[in-house]
Amino acid sequence: EIKNIVYPLYQLGNPQLRIFRPSWFLTLVRPGKEQPPDTVQFRIPMDMTKYDVKNYLEKIYNVPVGVVRTRIQFGSNKKRNHLNQRVKKPDYKVAYVQLAQSQTFTFPDIFPEKDRTLKEGSMEEMQEKFMEDEKQRQKSDPRRGGVTEWFGL
Amino acid sequence: MASSSSLGRVLTLCKRFQSVFRISPAISVQHCAVNLKRCQNNLLSEKSSLIASSWITPISFVGQRRALHTTVSRRGLEEFFDQPENWGEPNVKSGAPWTAKQLRTKSNEDLHKLWYVLLKERNMLLTLAQEAKRQSLQMPSPERMKKIERSMVRLDTVVRERETALRLLQTGQEKGRPGDWRRNVFGYEYWYRFKEYTIPWYMNKRHERKKFYTPHFVQPHIRLRIERFLRERARKVNLKRKTLAKLKERFPQMKLPSS
Repeated sequence: EIKNIVYPLYQLGNPQLRIFRPSWFLTLVRPGKEQPPDTVQFRIPMDMTKYDVKNYLEKIYNVPVGVVRTRIQFGSNKKRNHLNQRVKKPDYKVAYVQLAQSQTFTFPDIFPEKDRTLKEGSMEEMQEKFMEDEKQRQKSDPRRGGVTEWFGL
Repeated sequence: MASSSSLGRVLTLCKRFQSVFRISPAISVQHCAVNLKRCQNNLLSEKSSLIASSWITPISFVGQRRALHTTVSRRGLEEFFDQPENWGEPNVKSGAPWTAKQLRTKSNEDLHKLWYVLLKERNMLLTLAQEAKRQSLQMPSPERMKKIERSMVRLDTVVRERETALRLLQTGQEKGRPGDWRRNVFGYEYWYRFKEYTIPWYMNKRHERKKFYTPHFVQPHIRLRIERFLRERARKVNLKRKTLAKLKERFPQMKLPSS
Protein backbone atom coordinates (compact mmCIF):
# COMPACT_ATOMS: atom_id res chain seq x y z
CA GLU A 1 0.00 0.00 0.00
CA ILE A 2 2.98 2.35 0.19
CA LYS A 3 3.10 3.29 -3.47
CA ASN A 4 5.31 5.84 -5.23
CA ILE A 5 8.04 5.79 -2.60
CA VAL A 6 11.18 7.42 -3.99
CA TYR A 7 14.39 6.61 -2.18
CA PRO A 8 17.35 9.03 -2.35
CA LEU A 9 19.87 8.42 -5.10
CA TYR A 10 23.00 6.64 -4.06
CA GLN A 11 26.40 8.03 -4.93
CA LEU A 12 29.76 6.98 -3.55
CA GLY A 13 30.11 8.13 0.06
CA ASN A 14 26.37 8.48 0.77
CA PRO A 15 25.07 7.00 4.01
CA GLN A 16 23.57 3.53 3.95
CA LEU A 17 19.89 3.58 2.96
CA ARG A 18 17.65 2.41 5.80
CA ILE A 19 14.06 1.42 5.21
CA PHE A 20 11.59 1.63 8.10
CA ARG A 21 8.28 -0.22 7.92
CA PRO A 22 8.98 -2.13 4.67
CA SER A 23 5.92 -2.83 2.55
CA TRP A 24 7.38 -6.03 1.08
CA PHE A 25 5.65 -9.32 1.74
CA LEU A 26 7.26 -12.70 1.20
CA THR A 27 5.39 -15.92 0.49
CA LEU A 28 7.02 -19.20 1.44
CA VAL A 29 6.13 -21.77 -1.22
CA ARG A 30 6.54 -25.50 -1.52
CA PRO A 31 9.25 -26.17 -4.17
CA GLY A 32 7.96 -27.61 -7.44
CA LYS A 33 11.23 -29.38 -8.14
CA GLU A 34 13.34 -31.20 -5.57
CA GLN A 35 15.57 -28.74 -3.71
CA PRO A 36 18.59 -29.31 -1.39
CA PRO A 37 17.57 -29.63 2.28
CA ASP A 38 18.89 -26.20 3.26
CA THR A 39 17.06 -24.31 0.50
CA VAL A 40 13.87 -22.36 1.17
CA GLN A 41 11.80 -21.07 -1.74
CA PHE A 42 10.02 -17.69 -1.57
CA ARG A 43 7.89 -15.59 -3.87
CA ILE A 44 9.01 -12.01 -3.45
CA PRO A 45 7.90 -8.67 -4.94
CA MET A 46 9.56 -7.71 -8.19
CA ASP A 47 11.52 -4.79 -6.81
CA MET A 48 13.29 -6.78 -4.09
CA THR A 49 16.92 -7.73 -4.61
CA LYS A 50 19.05 -10.54 -3.19
CA TYR A 51 20.53 -8.22 -0.58
CA ASP A 52 17.05 -7.01 0.36
CA VAL A 53 15.88 -10.59 0.91
CA LYS A 54 18.95 -11.39 2.99
CA ASN A 55 18.57 -8.36 5.22
CA TYR A 56 14.79 -8.85 5.50
CA LEU A 57 15.09 -12.42 6.73
CA GLU A 58 18.02 -11.70 8.99
CA LYS A 59 16.60 -8.60 10.64
CA ILE A 60 12.88 -9.38 10.84
CA TYR A 61 12.82 -13.16 11.15
CA ASN A 62 16.26 -13.68 12.72
CA VAL A 63 17.05 -16.44 10.22
CA PRO A 64 20.73 -17.05 9.36
CA VAL A 65 20.89 -16.62 5.59
CA GLY A 66 23.80 -17.76 3.44
CA VAL A 67 23.22 -17.21 -0.26
CA VAL A 68 20.15 -15.92 -2.08
CA ARG A 69 19.48 -16.55 -5.76
CA THR A 70 16.58 -14.96 -7.58
CA ARG A 71 14.81 -15.39 -10.88
CA ILE A 72 11.74 -13.87 -12.47
CA GLN A 73 8.98 -16.25 -13.45
CA PHE A 74 7.02 -15.20 -16.50
CA GLY A 75 3.24 -15.57 -16.04
CA SER A 76 1.63 -16.88 -19.21
CA ASN A 77 -0.34 -14.63 -21.53
CA LYS A 78 -1.65 -17.52 -23.59
CA LYS A 79 -4.99 -18.30 -21.96
CA ARG A 80 -8.03 -16.64 -23.46
CA ASN A 81 -11.32 -15.69 -21.85
CA HIS A 82 -14.87 -16.00 -23.23
CA LEU A 83 -14.27 -12.85 -25.35
CA ASN A 84 -11.16 -14.40 -26.89
CA GLN A 85 -8.99 -11.78 -25.16
CA ARG A 86 -5.69 -12.92 -23.82
CA VAL A 87 -5.60 -13.10 -20.01
CA LYS A 88 -2.27 -12.43 -18.38
CA LYS A 89 -1.18 -14.33 -15.29
CA PRO A 90 0.98 -11.94 -13.25
CA ASP A 91 4.77 -12.30 -13.26
CA TYR A 92 6.51 -12.94 -9.99
CA LYS A 93 10.03 -13.18 -8.64
CA VAL A 94 11.22 -16.37 -6.95
CA ALA A 95 14.06 -16.40 -4.41
CA TYR A 96 15.97 -19.51 -3.41
CA VAL A 97 17.45 -18.88 0.03
CA GLN A 98 20.16 -21.17 1.37
CA LEU A 99 20.37 -21.18 5.13
CA ALA A 100 23.68 -20.69 6.91
CA GLN A 101 24.97 -22.61 9.96
CA SER A 102 24.00 -25.91 8.21
CA GLN A 103 20.32 -25.55 9.09
CA THR A 104 17.72 -27.54 7.17
CA PHE A 105 14.11 -26.82 6.35
CA THR A 106 11.32 -29.03 5.06
CA PHE A 107 8.00 -27.61 3.99
CA PRO A 108 5.46 -28.87 6.55
CA ASP A 109 2.05 -30.38 5.85
CA ILE A 110 -0.29 -27.55 6.76
CA PHE A 111 -3.55 -29.34 5.94
CA PRO A 112 -3.45 -32.63 7.85
CA GLU A 113 -6.53 -34.83 7.95
CA LYS A 114 -8.20 -34.25 11.28
CA ASP A 115 -11.06 -36.54 12.41
CA ARG A 116 -13.69 -34.18 13.63
CA THR A 117 -16.36 -35.42 16.04
CA LEU A 118 -19.47 -33.49 15.06
CA LYS A 119 -21.58 -31.98 17.83
CA GLU A 120 -25.04 -33.57 18.25
CA GLY A 121 -27.79 -31.40 16.77
CA SER A 122 -25.35 -29.03 15.00
CA MET A 123 -25.69 -27.81 11.40
CA GLU A 124 -22.58 -29.73 10.27
CA GLU A 125 -23.89 -33.00 11.67
CA MET A 126 -27.23 -32.60 9.86
CA GLN A 127 -25.46 -31.71 6.63
CA GLU A 128 -23.19 -34.77 6.89
CA LYS A 129 -26.20 -37.05 7.49
CA PHE A 130 -28.03 -35.56 4.54
CA MET A 131 -25.02 -36.02 2.23
CA GLU A 132 -24.67 -39.65 3.31
CA ASP A 133 -28.36 -40.32 2.67
CA GLU A 134 -28.07 -38.78 -0.79
CA LYS A 135 -25.10 -40.99 -1.62
CA GLN A 136 -26.99 -44.06 -0.45
CA ARG A 137 -29.95 -43.16 -2.65
CA GLN A 138 -27.72 -42.80 -5.74
CA LYS A 139 -26.29 -46.31 -5.32
CA SER A 140 -27.96 -49.09 -7.32
CA ASP A 141 -29.71 -52.09 -5.78
CA PRO A 142 -27.01 -54.32 -4.19
CA ARG A 143 -29.08 -57.40 -4.91
CA ARG A 144 -28.36 -57.01 -8.65
CA GLY A 145 -24.71 -57.84 -8.04
CA GLY A 146 -23.11 -55.03 -10.07
CA VAL A 147 -25.27 -55.59 -13.19
CA THR A 148 -26.18 -52.29 -14.87
CA GLU A 149 -29.71 -51.02 -15.45
CA TRP A 150 -29.23 -51.46 -19.23
CA PHE A 151 -30.02 -55.14 -18.93
CA GLY A 152 -33.76 -55.58 -18.40
CA LEU A 153 -34.93 -57.47 -15.34
CA MET B 1 9.96 9.87 30.90
CA ALA B 2 9.83 11.28 34.42
CA SER B 3 12.24 8.90 36.16
CA SER B 4 15.90 9.21 35.40
CA SER B 5 17.24 5.91 36.71
CA SER B 6 17.21 2.92 34.40
CA LEU B 7 15.09 0.87 36.78
CA GLY B 8 12.49 3.59 37.00
CA ARG B 9 12.52 3.93 33.22
CA VAL B 10 11.97 0.23 32.76
CA LEU B 11 9.11 0.23 35.26
CA THR B 12 7.38 3.11 33.54
CA LEU B 13 7.86 1.30 30.22
CA CYS B 14 6.32 -1.88 31.62
CA LYS B 15 3.39 0.10 33.02
CA ARG B 16 2.95 1.82 29.68
CA PHE B 17 2.88 -1.52 27.89
CA GLN B 18 0.39 -2.88 30.38
CA SER B 19 -1.97 -0.01 29.81
CA VAL B 20 -1.45 0.09 26.04
CA PHE B 21 -1.64 -3.61 25.20
CA ARG B 22 -3.92 -5.62 27.41
CA ILE B 23 -2.96 -9.18 26.49
CA SER B 24 -6.02 -11.20 27.46
CA PRO B 25 -5.92 -15.01 27.71
CA ALA B 26 -6.95 -17.29 24.86
CA ILE B 27 -10.42 -17.90 26.40
CA SER B 28 -11.62 -14.46 25.51
CA VAL B 29 -10.99 -15.21 21.82
CA GLN B 30 -14.30 -17.08 21.82
CA HIS B 31 -16.14 -14.02 23.10
CA CYS B 32 -14.55 -12.09 20.27
CA ALA B 33 -16.52 -14.06 17.68
CA VAL B 34 -19.72 -13.19 19.55
CA ASN B 35 -19.20 -9.47 19.89
CA LEU B 36 -16.40 -8.02 17.80
CA LYS B 37 -17.13 -4.43 18.83
CA ARG B 38 -16.52 -5.16 22.49
CA CYS B 39 -13.24 -6.83 21.73
CA GLN B 40 -11.87 -3.91 19.75
CA ASN B 41 -10.69 -2.10 22.83
CA ASN B 42 -9.42 -5.05 24.75
CA LEU B 43 -7.90 -7.49 22.31
CA LEU B 44 -5.35 -7.15 19.56
CA SER B 45 -6.55 -8.11 16.13
CA GLU B 46 -4.19 -11.07 16.02
CA LYS B 47 -4.25 -14.29 17.96
CA SER B 48 -3.27 -13.31 21.46
CA SER B 49 -0.88 -16.20 22.01
CA LEU B 50 1.12 -15.16 18.94
CA ILE B 51 1.50 -11.72 20.44
CA ALA B 52 2.22 -13.08 23.92
CA SER B 53 5.21 -15.03 22.70
CA SER B 54 6.57 -12.35 20.40
CA TRP B 55 6.32 -9.76 23.15
CA ILE B 56 8.86 -11.61 25.30
CA THR B 57 11.23 -8.67 25.43
CA PRO B 58 14.53 -9.05 27.21
CA ILE B 59 15.01 -5.87 29.18
CA SER B 60 18.50 -5.36 30.54
CA PHE B 61 19.23 -3.31 33.62
CA VAL B 62 22.82 -2.47 32.73
CA GLY B 63 23.70 1.12 33.53
CA GLN B 64 21.98 4.16 32.04
CA ARG B 65 20.67 2.39 28.93
CA ARG B 66 18.09 4.02 26.65
CA ALA B 67 14.61 2.56 27.16
CA LEU B 68 14.55 0.95 23.73
CA HIS B 69 14.57 -2.81 23.39
CA THR B 70 13.93 -5.15 20.49
CA THR B 71 12.06 -8.41 20.41
CA VAL B 72 14.14 -11.53 20.05
CA SER B 73 11.96 -14.13 18.35
CA ARG B 74 13.51 -17.57 18.55
CA ARG B 75 11.28 -19.16 15.98
CA GLY B 76 12.70 -18.09 12.63
CA LEU B 77 11.00 -19.73 9.68
CA GLU B 78 8.24 -21.14 11.89
CA GLU B 79 6.74 -17.66 11.90
CA PHE B 80 5.74 -18.17 8.29
CA PHE B 81 3.20 -20.70 9.48
CA ASP B 82 0.34 -20.66 11.91
CA GLN B 83 0.54 -22.39 15.24
CA PRO B 84 0.52 -26.19 14.79
CA GLU B 85 -2.82 -26.45 16.66
CA ASN B 86 -4.52 -24.50 13.88
CA TRP B 87 -3.26 -26.64 11.00
CA GLY B 88 -6.19 -28.41 9.33
CA GLU B 89 -8.86 -26.38 11.15
CA PRO B 90 -11.68 -25.20 8.85
CA ASN B 91 -12.05 -21.89 10.75
CA VAL B 92 -9.54 -19.83 12.69
CA LYS B 93 -10.94 -17.12 14.96
CA SER B 94 -9.57 -13.60 14.64
CA GLY B 95 -10.58 -10.23 16.02
CA ALA B 96 -11.57 -6.98 14.33
CA PRO B 97 -9.08 -4.93 12.31
CA TRP B 98 -7.41 -1.90 13.84
CA THR B 99 -9.26 1.37 13.27
CA ALA B 100 -7.48 4.66 12.62
CA LYS B 101 -8.99 6.06 15.83
CA GLN B 102 -7.44 3.29 17.91
CA LEU B 103 -4.10 3.61 16.16
CA ARG B 104 -3.93 7.33 16.80
CA THR B 105 -3.83 6.66 20.54
CA LYS B 106 -0.65 4.57 20.23
CA SER B 107 2.88 5.92 20.43
CA ASN B 108 5.32 5.86 17.50
CA GLU B 109 7.33 3.02 18.99
CA ASP B 110 4.21 0.92 19.42
CA LEU B 111 3.08 1.66 15.86
CA HIS B 112 6.50 0.67 14.56
CA LYS B 113 6.34 -2.64 16.39
CA LEU B 114 2.74 -3.23 15.37
CA TRP B 115 3.73 -2.77 11.74
CA TYR B 116 6.14 -5.70 11.99
CA VAL B 117 3.61 -7.83 13.82
CA LEU B 118 1.10 -7.18 11.04
CA LEU B 119 3.78 -7.80 8.42
CA LYS B 120 4.63 -11.21 9.83
CA GLU B 121 0.95 -12.13 10.09
CA ARG B 122 0.41 -11.08 6.50
CA ASN B 123 3.35 -13.19 5.33
CA MET B 124 1.90 -16.12 7.22
CA LEU B 125 -1.50 -15.67 5.57
CA LEU B 126 0.09 -15.37 2.13
CA THR B 127 2.00 -18.64 2.59
CA LEU B 128 -1.20 -20.31 3.81
CA ALA B 129 -3.18 -19.04 0.83
CA GLN B 130 -0.55 -20.19 -1.65
CA GLU B 131 -0.30 -23.65 -0.07
CA ALA B 132 -4.09 -23.97 -0.08
CA LYS B 133 -4.12 -23.11 -3.80
CA ARG B 134 -1.39 -25.69 -4.36
CA GLN B 135 -3.31 -28.43 -2.53
CA SER B 136 -6.65 -27.34 -4.10
CA LEU B 137 -8.17 -26.79 -0.66
CA GLN B 138 -9.94 -23.89 0.97
CA MET B 139 -7.92 -21.47 3.04
CA PRO B 140 -9.31 -21.30 6.60
CA SER B 141 -10.98 -17.90 7.28
CA PRO B 142 -9.73 -15.84 4.30
CA GLU B 143 -11.27 -12.64 5.72
CA ARG B 144 -8.12 -12.21 7.82
CA MET B 145 -6.20 -11.02 4.76
CA LYS B 146 -8.47 -8.03 4.21
CA LYS B 147 -8.44 -7.20 7.92
CA ILE B 148 -4.64 -7.11 7.98
CA GLU B 149 -4.44 -5.09 4.80
CA ARG B 150 -6.85 -2.47 6.09
CA SER B 151 -5.05 -2.28 9.44
CA MET B 152 -1.74 -1.70 7.66
CA VAL B 153 -3.21 1.00 5.42
CA ARG B 154 -4.68 2.79 8.41
CA LEU B 155 -1.39 2.52 10.31
CA ASP B 156 0.40 4.03 7.34
CA THR B 157 -2.14 6.88 7.17
CA VAL B 158 -1.68 7.66 10.87
CA VAL B 159 2.11 7.70 10.55
CA ARG B 160 1.90 9.95 7.50
CA GLU B 161 -0.40 12.34 9.35
CA ARG B 162 2.08 12.59 12.19
CA GLU B 163 4.95 13.13 9.79
CA THR B 164 3.18 15.96 7.94
CA ALA B 165 2.24 17.59 11.23
CA LEU B 166 5.85 17.45 12.41
CA ARG B 167 7.14 18.72 9.09
CA LEU B 168 4.69 21.63 9.12
CA LEU B 169 5.76 22.60 12.60
CA GLN B 170 9.48 22.29 11.92
CA THR B 171 9.85 23.59 8.39
CA GLY B 172 6.49 24.94 7.27
CA GLN B 173 6.41 22.53 4.29
CA GLU B 174 3.38 20.29 4.03
CA LYS B 175 4.79 17.88 1.42
CA GLY B 176 7.96 15.87 1.94
CA ARG B 177 8.77 15.64 -1.76
CA PRO B 178 9.13 19.03 -3.50
CA GLY B 179 6.88 19.74 -6.48
CA ASP B 180 5.26 22.46 -8.54
CA TRP B 181 2.07 23.22 -10.50
CA ARG B 182 2.95 22.84 -14.19
CA ARG B 183 0.98 22.78 -17.42
CA ASN B 184 1.39 19.79 -19.71
CA VAL B 185 1.10 19.51 -23.51
CA PHE B 186 -2.63 18.79 -23.36
CA GLY B 187 -3.52 21.98 -21.54
CA TYR B 188 -3.95 20.39 -18.11
CA GLU B 189 -2.40 21.88 -15.02
CA TYR B 190 -1.07 19.20 -12.68
CA TRP B 191 1.17 18.77 -9.64
CA TYR B 192 4.57 17.85 -11.05
CA ARG B 193 6.71 16.11 -8.42
CA PHE B 194 10.45 16.68 -8.66
CA LYS B 195 12.77 13.79 -9.24
CA GLU B 196 16.33 13.42 -8.02
CA TYR B 197 18.97 13.49 -10.77
CA THR B 198 22.77 13.33 -10.71
CA ILE B 199 23.12 16.22 -13.21
CA PRO B 200 21.36 19.61 -13.24
CA TRP B 201 18.28 20.17 -15.43
CA TYR B 202 20.03 22.33 -18.02
CA MET B 203 22.48 19.52 -18.79
CA ASN B 204 19.76 16.86 -19.10
CA LYS B 205 19.24 16.25 -22.85
CA ARG B 206 16.22 13.98 -22.41
CA HIS B 207 14.49 16.35 -20.01
CA GLU B 208 14.71 19.15 -22.63
CA ARG B 209 12.29 17.26 -24.87
CA LYS B 210 9.62 17.26 -22.14
CA LYS B 211 7.26 20.22 -22.68
CA PHE B 212 5.79 22.05 -19.71
CA TYR B 213 3.77 24.43 -21.88
CA THR B 214 0.73 24.06 -24.14
CA PRO B 215 1.49 24.72 -27.85
CA HIS B 216 -0.73 27.15 -29.75
CA PHE B 217 -2.36 24.51 -31.98
CA VAL B 218 -3.82 22.70 -28.94
CA GLN B 219 -6.15 25.64 -28.12
CA PRO B 220 -9.03 24.50 -30.45
CA HIS B 221 -8.98 21.05 -28.84
CA ILE B 222 -9.12 22.61 -25.37
CA ARG B 223 -12.09 24.73 -26.50
CA LEU B 224 -13.91 21.61 -27.75
CA ARG B 225 -13.23 19.92 -24.41
CA ILE B 226 -14.70 22.86 -22.53
CA GLU B 227 -17.76 22.84 -24.82
CA ARG B 228 -18.29 19.12 -24.16
CA PHE B 229 -18.02 19.62 -20.41
CA LEU B 230 -20.54 22.50 -20.45
CA ARG B 231 -22.93 20.49 -22.63
CA GLU B 232 -22.82 17.54 -20.23
CA ARG B 233 -23.42 19.79 -17.25
CA ALA B 234 -26.36 21.49 -19.00
CA ARG B 235 -27.78 18.06 -19.86
CA LYS B 236 -27.68 16.98 -16.22
CA VAL B 237 -29.44 20.14 -15.05
CA ASN B 238 -32.07 19.83 -17.79
CA LEU B 239 -32.74 16.20 -16.97
CA LYS B 240 -33.35 17.04 -13.33
CA ARG B 241 -35.69 19.89 -14.23
CA LYS B 242 -37.66 17.75 -16.73
CA THR B 243 -38.10 14.84 -14.29
CA LEU B 244 -39.40 17.24 -11.64
CA ALA B 245 -41.82 18.80 -14.18
CA LYS B 246 -43.12 15.34 -15.19
CA LEU B 247 -43.61 14.31 -11.57
CA LYS B 248 -45.41 17.58 -10.84
CA GLU B 249 -47.72 16.93 -13.79
CA ARG B 250 -48.46 13.39 -12.61
CA PHE B 251 -48.73 14.20 -8.90
CA PRO B 252 -49.94 17.82 -8.59
CA GLN B 253 -49.95 17.80 -4.77
CA MET B 254 -46.30 16.69 -4.63
CA LYS B 255 -43.91 18.77 -2.57
CA LEU B 256 -40.58 19.51 -4.27
CA PRO B 257 -37.60 17.61 -2.76
CA SER B 258 -35.18 19.66 -0.72
CA SER B 259 -32.07 18.77 -2.76
